[in-house]
Parts: sequence; structure tokens; C-alpha cells
Amino acid sequence: MSETLLIISFEELCHIEQLSKDMIIEVIDYGIAEPVSGDNTRNWVFDTNSVRWVKKAITLYSQLELDWIAVAMIVELLKQKEKLTEENENLQRRLMRF
Amino acid sequence: MEFKDYYQVLGVEEDADLKAIKKAYRKLALKLHPDMQPEKNSDDEFKELVEAYEVLKDPQRRAEYDELKKYGTASHDNFQPPPGWQSSNDSNSAHSGGDFSDFFNSVFGGGGFDQRQRSHQPDDFSGFNSQGQDAEIEVPVFLEDLFSEAPKTIQFSMPSLEDGNVKHVNKTLKVKIPSGVVDGERIRLKGQGGKGLGKGRSGDLYLHIRLVPHPLFDVEGHNLVLTVPILPWEAVLGCKVEVPTLAGKINLNIKPNSQTGHKLRVKGKGLKMKTGLGDMIAVLKIVTPDKTTDEDKALWQQLAQLAHDDPRSKWSQKDV
Repeated sequence: MSETLLIISFEELCHIEQLSKDMIIEVIDYGIAEPVSGDNTRNWVFDTNSVRWVKKAITLYSQLELDWIAVAMIVELLKQKEKLTEENENLQRRLMRF
Repeated sequence: MEFKDYYQVLGVEEDADLKAIKKAYRKLALKLHPDMQPEKNSDDEFKELVEAYEVLKDPQRRAEYDELKKYGTASHDNFQPPPGWQSSNDSNSAHSGGDFSDFFNSVFGGGGFDQRQRSHQPDDFSGFNSQGQDAEIEVPVFLEDLFSEAPKTIQFSMPSLEDGNVKHVNKTLKVKIPSGVVDGERIRLKGQGGKGLGKGRSGDLYLHIRLVPHPLFDVEGHNLVLTVPILPWEAVLGCKVEVPTLAGKINLNIKPNSQTGHKLRVKGKGLKMKTGLGDMIAVLKIVTPDKTTDEDKALWQQLAQLAHDDPRSKWSQKDV
């Protein structure tokens, strides 16, 4: 049976897109991904959803030639949009009951 | 392979300057970016656009492309680079989020891992070590599965490089869904993604958990929400109602004068958390009877005459 994980270490996060630690730290500084535990880079641990947002941020940064502050804003708005869409779907489903 | 007309993709003339190319790219990127219109599934169109811009924004690549274009348009559908063709451009697209076509890779070489892994020419990466690609699949999960101790069987197909060609290989994994997982969470299976090249490690597989809508319960984090229909007299007089939970039926006491939207929290009848269980929240909804007899109507009319409540009393005359 495959081992399942709900976390990823800082080192592993850096390996994802073969990015420099400095670039990942920049992504973290802008709040795009936040460690769930650890007080320094050596023991930082992230939840697995962070991987998706880090990838998204890097793609936006390079493909759309944006600066990090713009990327951070877009990612934050995408997170909010996703949450609201989900809430809306849930409420619509509840309204349809009976 | 098909020759790509990057000028056509960007909708610019062949003599367009860099400013015009940038302008066209930005306009189309805004229109085609998958995050702008997720329902339209414009990923492939956007990838093509990024690829076209990658080439035309770079003077050296563009010059090489223009040279090839003269040669390539004659054999549009069956394009092969001229014998001995080699790009002088050190194409490093690893940081551009590039996932480019075979055409791009054959002309400019695969700078990023994506390109090397997809290349049809094994000689391109002989002696090359690189990490395998991560992959993500959506896994529908029933609420009941979250309580099951049995592993879930996941079947999926993964692109794999064999004899220099990309083939889709079917894989089956048995996975125990960890306790406390919620809708939208991603479970990481280390090393189960795309295979690495050379000594490169394999990528990870992410299972994106999507809870299947339940016929009775809605989900809010680790809590279950149950809509409980009650009749008007049950709401007024109060009653005892038998309600379902995922662990069997329980009785709920509905207080007199309850309203639609009132919530009753039942501790420990929700979903599994890392430790313990979430709650079930019963939300009342007053419903009127489907059918009324003449006798029912007469009784309702008696009630109407006795009624001293006006639910619309807060509406002032000028608002109406």
C-alpha cells in the first residue's frame, strides 16, 4: 500500500520545479505559501495544497511577466474565489433540499 | 509533426516589432488564461500562445524560426527540421512554466525537464539526470469512505517514456485515506508520479480529494449539515424527530416556536478529524403539507382568524 502524506518539507518544495531556495523564500515572504510548522527553513513544513499554489505562482510570474506583489495578489484572489465558489455551491445545494 | 505558425497564434504580422508582439500576447493571455475562464478549458490554446511568445520575444530564436518558416511552410503537416539542424539558442524554459509542443522541442531543444521527458529522441537526454514530473488526479470519495478502514483502489494512467516514445501506462494503487482529510485536500504519494530520467528521482502523485455530494448531508469542514424538514405545527408546538446520522438514527428535540434556519448542534456526529469527530448541525426548514383537505383548510382558516402575529410588521408603509 502506498504511503500517504499531507505535508511537504521546504527542501522537497524547492525540488518541485528545480527552483532556488531564494525564489521559494520570496514566494513564502509574499504569503503565497505559509509553513504550517517550523521556525526556520531547515524545519519548515507545508501542507500539500501549498505545492499547487507555489506552482501556480511561479507559472504566473514567468508566463505573464508579473512582479511578485501582483502574483501574490492574484493568488490570494484565486484562493478567495475558490472558497466562495465552493461556499456558493454548498449553499445552493442546501437551498434545493425540501 | 505539424509546423506551428507562431505569428498566426499571436495574430501579428511577420514584421511585427517586439512591442506589438508583447501587446498581442498580453491581450490574448488575458483572454485565454485558464484561470480567467476555467469552464472553457482553454489550457491547450494558452500553452500554444505561451510557446509562440517564448519564440517570438527572443530575437535569436525568432531569427531561427523565421529561417525555418521559409523551409517549413512547404511541408506544413509533415514538418521535420532540416538535416543537421541545431539551435544555437540555449533554450532554458524551465522557469517559464513551459510545457511545449514536439515542434518546439525539435526546433529549439528541450530546455526544461518537461521538454526532455517528452522528447521523441532518446539521444537528446543520454547521460541526463532529471526529476520526474509531479502528477495530480481527482479522486471522488464518498462520505462513508472516510469512516472505512479498507484501502481505496485508485486507477489512473501516467505518461511514461519508453524506447524514446511517450506511452500512457495504466497504474493501480491501494491507498488508505488518512483520517481528517477534508474536501479539496491533496494527498501526496511520494515517488508515484512521473519516472525520473537517469538517476533523477520520480515525481510525486497528488490525489485531489473531492467529496461526492451526499443525498442527505452537506459538508462544512469536518461538520455535517443535515436539513431537517418540519411541519408548521411541529415548529410551533415543538416535537421529537428521528434524524439520520452516518452512524445510525438519533432523536432530536425541536423546541416550541422554532423557525426555519434554527440550528441544533449534535456533538461528535460529524466527520473524522485527526483526533476525534466533528459535529452534525441540524438546520430546521419549515415546510407546508403537500395536500390539504377541506377539513384542513377550515382548521387553517380558524387559525388565521385567531392569529395575532404579523411577520411583515417591520415593513414600514413607505418601503412597501
